[in-house]
Amino acid sequence: MMPITDIPLQAYLVVAAVLFCIGVWGLINSRNAVRVLMSIELMLNAVNLNMMAFSSYLDGTQVRGQVFAVFIITVAAAEAAVGLAILLSLYRNRDTVDMEQFNLLRW
Amino acid sequence: MQGIASGLDLHAAAVLPEGAVLLTMVLCLLVDLAGERPAARWVPPLTSVGLVTALALLARQWNGLAEPAFLGAFIADNLSVALRAIVVASTLLSLWMSWRYVERSGTPLGEYATILMAATIGAMLLCGATDLVTVFIALETLSIASYILSGYMKRDARSGEAALKYLLVGSAAAAVFLYGASLLYGLTGGDTSLEAVGLAVQSSQTPVAVLALIFVLATVGFKIAAVPFHQWTPDVYEGSPTPVVAFLSVGSKTAGFALALRLLVSCFSSLSAQWELLFTVLAILSMVLGNVVALAQTSMKRMLAYSSIAQAGFVMIGLVCGTAEGYSAAVLYLATYLFMNLGAFACVILFSLRTGSDRISDYAGLYQKDPLITLGLSLCLLSLGGIPPMLGFFGKIYLFVAGWGSGQYTMVIVGLVTSVISIYYYIGVIKNMVVKEPQDASAVVKSYPAIRWNLAGLPPLRLALVFCVAVTAVGGILSRPLFSLADQTVAGTPMLQQILAVALHNTPVT
Amino acid sequence: MSLALSTQLICFLLLSGALLLGALGVVLLPNVVYSAFLLGGVLLSMAGLYLLLNASFVAAAQVLVYVGAVNVLILFAIMLVNKRQPLRPMRVLLLRRLLSVGVCLGLLALLVQVALTTPWDLPGPPSIGEAAITRIGEHFFTDYLLPFEVASVLLLMAMIGAIVLARRDVLARDVVTGAPADQALLERQRPPLLPSQDGSSPSAPSP
Repeated sequence: MMPITDIPLQAYLVVAAVLFCIGVWGLINSRNAVRVLMSIELMLNAVNLNMMAFSSYLDGTQVRGQVFAVFIITVAAAEAAVGLAILLSLYRNRDTVDMEQFNLLRW
Repeated sequence: MQGIASGLDLHAAAVLPEGAVLLTMVLCLLVDLAGERPAARWVPPLTSVGLVTALALLARQWNGLAEPAFLGAFIADNLSVALRAIVVASTLLSLWMSWRYVERSGTPLGEYATILMAATIGAMLLCGATDLVTVFIALETLSIASYILSGYMKRDARSGEAALKYLLVGSAAAAVFLYGASLLYGLTGGDTSLEAVGLAVQSSQTPVAVLALIFVLATVGFKIAAVPFHQWTPDVYEGSPTPVVAFLSVGSKTAGFALALRLLVSCFSSLSAQWELLFTVLAILSMVLGNVVALAQTSMKRMLAYSSIAQAGFVMIGLVCGTAEGYSAAVLYLATYLFMNLGAFACVILFSLRTGSDRISDYAGLYQKDPLITLGLSLCLLSLGGIPPMLGFFGKIYLFVAGWGSGQYTMVIVGLVTSVISIYYYIGVIKNMVVKEPQDASAVVKSYPAIRWNLAGLPPLRLALVFCVAVTAVGGILSRPLFSLADQTVAGTPMLQQILAVALHNTPVT
Repeated sequence: MSLALSTQLICFLLLSGALLLGALGVVLLPNVVYSAFLLGGVLLSMAGLYLLLNASFVAAAQVLVYVGAVNVLILFAIMLVNKRQPLRPMRVLLLRRLLSVGVCLGLLALLVQVALTTPWDLPGPPSIGEAAITRIGEHFFTDYLLPFEVASVLLLMAMIGAIVLARRDVLARDVVTGAPADQALLERQRPPLLPSQDGSSPSAPSP
């Protein structure tokens, strides 16, 4: 239907790489546990962008990357739900979401 | 992909065992609707029947035709059957150990069984998955179920912390794995089956394959808890309910090794020099750090956590060998590890049910009060240390012989030395239990409750304990059939045969 | 959709700019509520990029699932757990941040290097555009049937698990003996590991 655009594939890959690294930085440095979960969502979105870019540029007829991305979105939703449930039950016990104070177990 | 209706054969019989587990899971949920008391009555026998059925169905697949099922998403070759059997057996045994623990802590029992069943389904599918998407979904089913189970004692801050740490580290590992998978998808030019990935990696001389390898290796390392991806292990093991730890240490780890075999051994076979080097480093670090840090532990669960890190290092020797003996030794060691580790956990669970403690010092003088736990724990720990008449000795010697035979001298020597270190701390626990005079016994042991087996949930625990300990103690006699089963595992796996044939073809005959 | 190439380029630049700035805001802003709203913006820009990549179905799924469910869930969680508490300052924090910036920049350089130098198999077959929805459905019922079914097990299990963990239940006794139970680990907590109340570092080695 549409020819390959003049935006190179690599442009999408670079955007995804930057997003992934921002996610990694947030994962290491966030002290609020909710923000750590958000950073993980950023990383998963970076992966999805990679998938979609490859799917559009290299796999235009079979679009397996789109299928993979749908699975990733599904799992990310389940993971977020479980993560927030764990966070909620932990907050009831500890009354904080500060990662630095989760140290009952030696880290 | 041309016609959907044009006679696709799914070979869906390959996932019949998973179907049995799934059916059991749904039945558990339905029974649980009737309330806690009927659930406590009916869920335990129901799960036992379901899992034994799954084991029987797996036995029927042994040496069957290893056709790719679900259009290349899954395969039921002998490797997958053997590893899935280990997973199902670990679930069955850890469920037997769970009932009293879960009831005693007042947490919902039907849901516990349901989530553990879901974890089992994920782990089983991971053992036979041959497609990146299936690998990912199976991995996440196992992981998310494990996060929930580690946080299951929700009024306990330690359990919540363990679950949160496990979830954050695990999700990050999953994201890293996915980034690697997306690179592989791009490298194949639009295919996700492991076969296509293997071909693409073979024909590509670019750093992208190495990068994807490192990303995948990080995930495998996380799942099998190899140093330096092990940091979550001690905390999760200490903070999770002990029966869950029993499952994680065997079932989840077995699934991780299945992932390593499918992805590293088969997909990245053309990069074998690179990943074998990395795996050697990981194995040596795991054996050294696991065994040395275990020396300093005061908590039984933490000690077993470090011990499991070290044991993973031993199994990795088999994978690095790249020979038929190496693979079958790894599978055999996983099977022996199932019995000896679960036996040790059964004793630890029984002790904490009776005393509410898992401190090693609290075990002092136990043999006066509870000979069964003392005997069982001693035999299992001796086996984990690799003392001759036990099952673990045969598993370990087979691994070391295979490693020596394929020239992995450094690893084998490190393995031998660290085995000696491990015997030191295992013996320390045994000495603590046996040698102490009655007046030196710990306060916990002095006020030890009278031994009763009449509560619901305790007989299955006793059954699991006696079974594991018996297999550990006398399994050495049966090691001959076990060896041949392990060899058949490798012989009946087309994927491994292909790798071995290529390796044989490439090495000049000396 | 067929847009003029210059329009596509402008859309790409705008969307990826919004995406990356929003992502930086998510990890850097001190107030986590703003972060959550910015995350919504990031996810919407991502859906826009999917549209540029001929993936309208996934774009819709992204908006429905990510923005509509995950982001709202995160906002709810923030409302439930958001206690205004000053985070205790840490001395090594700045050093750690700078170090991790270095690590992340190194990782970025590696990833970008790989993305740029790899000879991707270009150009691939032409995109099937809107017919992708049909193709995705075909995949779900042929070669991805197994993961599709397993995903339903995963969602069921995640739902049950999330409910079990998050509900405030009153069942706190041993159903067999009737003894009171507290839904905690049977292994008692060891006192030296408890964090001290005055907030000093609890990591003192246990005697």
